[in-house]
Amino acid sequence: MAESDKPASRFSRRSFIKSAGAGAAVAGVSAEAQEKKPETLGPDASTITLKVNGVARQVSVEPRVTLLRALRNELEITGAKEVCDRGGCGACTVLMDGRTVNACMLMAWDAVGHEITTVESFGTPEKLSPIQAAFLECDGYQCGFCTPGMIVSCTALLKANPKPTLDETKAALAGNLCRCGTYGRIFESVDKAAKTMASAKPAARPAKKGE
Amino acid sequence: MAQQPTPAQTPPPIPTVKMKAKAGFHGQPVEMDINPAVGDLKPWDLDTQFDVMKGRYPRLEGPLKVTGRAKYTYDIKLPGMLWGRMVGSAMPHAEIVKIDTSKAEALPGVKAVWTTESRTVRFAGQDVAAVAATTPEIAEDAARLIEITYNEKPFITDLEKAMEAGAPPVYSLEQVPGNPAIPRNGNILGPQTGRGLKRGDVAAGLAEAEVSIEGTYRVSVHTHSPLETHGVIAQWDGDELTIYASTQGVFTVKEGVSEALKIPRTKVRVICEHMGGGFGSKLAPSATGSQFAVVACILAQKAQAPVKLMLDRRQEHLCTGNAPSALITVNIGAKKDGTFTAIHHRSYGSAGIAPGAGTAAPLGNLYQNTANILGEDHSVFTNAGPAAPLRAPGHPQGAFALESAVDELAEKLHMDPLELRKKNDPSPVRQMQYDIGAKAIGWDRRNKKAGGYAPGAEGGSGGSGVAPPRSGKVRGIGMANGEWNVIARGSGVGCEVRIHRDGSVECFSGAQDIGSGFRTAMAGVAAEELGLQPKDITMHVGDTRWPEGPGSGGSNTTNSVAPVVRLAAHDAKQKLFAAAAPALGARPEDLEARGGKIFAAAKPGKSLTFKQAAAKISGEQVVATAERKKQYELFRQEIAGTQFCEVEVDVETGEVKIIKMVSVNDCGIPVNSLLTESQVIGSMIQGASWALFENRILDRNYGTMVNPNLESYKILMPTDMFEAVSILTPVANLGNNTSTAGIGEPPSVPPLAAIANAVFNATGARVRSLPISPDRMLAALAEARRRA
Repeated sequence: MAESDKPASRFSRRSFIKSAGAGAAVAGVSAEAQEKKPETLGPDASTITLKVNGVARQVSVEPRVTLLRALRNELEITGAKEVCDRGGCGACTVLMDGRTVNACMLMAWDAVGHEITTVESFGTPEKLSPIQAAFLECDGYQCGFCTPGMIVSCTALLKANPKPTLDETKAALAGNLCRCGTYGRIFESVDKAAKTMASAKPAARPAKKGE
Repeated sequence: MAQQPTPAQTPPPIPTVKMKAKAGFHGQPVEMDINPAVGDLKPWDLDTQFDVMKGRYPRLEGPLKVTGRAKYTYDIKLPGMLWGRMVGSAMPHAEIVKIDTSKAEALPGVKAVWTTESRTVRFAGQDVAAVAATTPEIAEDAARLIEITYNEKPFITDLEKAMEAGAPPVYSLEQVPGNPAIPRNGNILGPQTGRGLKRGDVAAGLAEAEVSIEGTYRVSVHTHSPLETHGVIAQWDGDELTIYASTQGVFTVKEGVSEALKIPRTKVRVICEHMGGGFGSKLAPSATGSQFAVVACILAQKAQAPVKLMLDRRQEHLCTGNAPSALITVNIGAKKDGTFTAIHHRSYGSAGIAPGAGTAAPLGNLYQNTANILGEDHSVFTNAGPAAPLRAPGHPQGAFALESAVDELAEKLHMDPLELRKKNDPSPVRQMQYDIGAKAIGWDRRNKKAGGYAPGAEGGSGGSGVAPPRSGKVRGIGMANGEWNVIARGSGVGCEVRIHRDGSVECFSGAQDIGSGFRTAMAGVAAEELGLQPKDITMHVGDTRWPEGPGSGGSNTTNSVAPVVRLAAHDAKQKLFAAAAPALGARPEDLEARGGKIFAAAKPGKSLTFKQAAAKISGEQVVATAERKKQYELFRQEIAGTQFCEVEVDVETGEVKIIKMVSVNDCGIPVNSLLTESQVIGSMIQGASWALFENRILDRNYGTMVNPNLESYKILMPTDMFEAVSILTPVANLGNNTSTAGIGEPPSVPPLAAIANAVFNATGARVRSLPISPDRMLAALAEARRRA
């Protein structure tokens, strides 16, 4: 995969707003952005570099393309799903610099310079992460369409809070919808994974033979 | 729903054999005579000792789903693929004067355009045009550039207004769909009385009652809202068409598309590997309110490139189906001891532009001892998208009315509603389930008089029975029954099992896994028969190249396909035994397969592993195929269930919070309790979402949906979650050689009434309209205070 040091072109909010013709939103442009002499970008596609799961990837997208669509349609990283397309369901949840974001609510150009992490990086079918293994054991899914977003949110939760209470788990997953009705078993999965991870912690000591 | 072909004449009888098996449930076994088809197997029954099916095992596709690697239709990208987009009518009722696609066609990147031949639109969102372009964004631009000129007509979106004389007609009299034998009056089609819904004389039964009640109940329209929207990818290779579809019926798509395009079945292949939810809305070739799958195939043909066409969330709400609204009046008459003398169920509902809004079916299954019953259904046309089956179509609405009315009658009789149900319920299965559920919820904590106990209190003290309190939170407990019928295909289902020389096993069934765990369940059945583990079976599902399977609806998939999986595995096993018998010095008919070994029962010490036995196969593999010939005689036609619920109501804000739900269900003999329980829990959660939150709102001035999204069409969120307990009560129903039953429908029926009845027990306020939103709760509390 070609590692590019600099994006071929840089997006500025001002040029985007200009091209999008949304003058009313100019109030939000920072002084810094206004000082820079803007390149005229868009509405056509430009090539940008997205750092996804530790790898710099080039994509050519129009300024109106969301991070989610860039991931899915250009990079064919399809774990994150578009379900509501307005930040209401969490199926598109990915990490940006370690924090959960709705990839459908971010323009791809706004993700330039940030570390994007998707569900694909957490484990493999052969070597599942603790929360992924717990989903299998507790049956924390049915159709599985919300699952990638759930796994990302659960992973972020357990990193920030290794021993969440039930209410903390509910709050952390509040932005993730499931239609099959798996919430209860997802909560069990979080609990299970938290216990697995806690008991694995002492294994920071040199692993015994056979471990 | 089972799609039973209706033969022009009665087919010749299928040769059968007579046998006996032990039906029912432990503690109350029943020896039954059954007549399986010749060549089929004795059903698994109460005496069967299971190795695999007694266990709980994870989904086979689980590792793919939790790592984001499961490829749904929505995730597939083919080389050179275009992006399709449907354009729906902006008007709820109009004649199309003109569709101008010239600007869309001139847009760079647009490769094909389709327009409808139909000139009339009857709901906002109905198919008008479609485009295919090189990016989804260009397709969205092109869709906006299509100019449609309408001649607007009067429309009606409200159920009760549509019933009024002089309401704008959705159809002219000669265009009304549905059975012409059913009476029609304006927008109203009916009354219609379904099979088993008329018994005795309901007027006489009500007249002889010592106590009677009448209640009128309303349910709003729910949309299915699967997370993966409807969609397909259509790919032509010469005259051969491959369709990747997010569907509950790959064979239905094949049939529908080949008929619409007038191409032979042999040229069409439909694939659905993973599916992101359907709940009944994905049983049609495209959807009940759209032809998008056919349109995608046409666009792909025009553009000479594969076309991916997924609906967006708004379109999903508008044209892919919904659960009809309901306005139901129930009269129940009873003796002073609680014995029902009559039940009259009159229902009006709107399935939009479609008929089929009936809700009376639960009346035919619950309380079968009642001498006099009458169910009268009416479908009322409105200018809204047509309904589609949604988890036990019509039953949740009907059971909400019926089971609320039973609760109201119990109140009037000063009887415990559980005792009232026990008195009138002929189902031995439910009679066994009642005490299990009551114990799990703590029924003895229930308020003896309506009016709640405080959170944290043990309960049981009983409410005041007078006015609801003016502040604080109160809790209460309620219950309701549910029912469904065993629906299964007796024919038109096949399976193939291959045992390879290296000991690996493949099982092929064309039916699709819609998230229910079908593929895992079928691996469980094959593994049970072959003495292996589910993970040892490589399942191939969701492809019309494999043997036919049913559409996944009506809780029929497992009990239609499991018997042919077992039979094919059994027949392949006999071939394996024949190959292995000489090495074991035994006759093939004396061999058994268990625990990964092949051995003669008389000499269990001498065995071959499954793999060693397979190595004796003379060719590369042994293959067996099986087809379903007939359904066996059933222990009971109904699938019984009952649910209990504890709620907490904030009497100041009107907010209802569910604390706990318990569902006790007949599930045949479960193939995998872990996944079966998940489906039951899912039903309770979906039912809770219908009861408390969901409401499709159509604008009365514009006729369009005002909440076609997932933030104002609210579904239950993690923060609304409660303790959900599934208790399975296995029943050997003998309906097929595995005694399995489906579970998608049955637990979806009682939640609405169980929740509403718990709300009444907590507050003394009866909410008869769903969803129980805070404003309705507050209005009901105010009404209860006025009465007190």
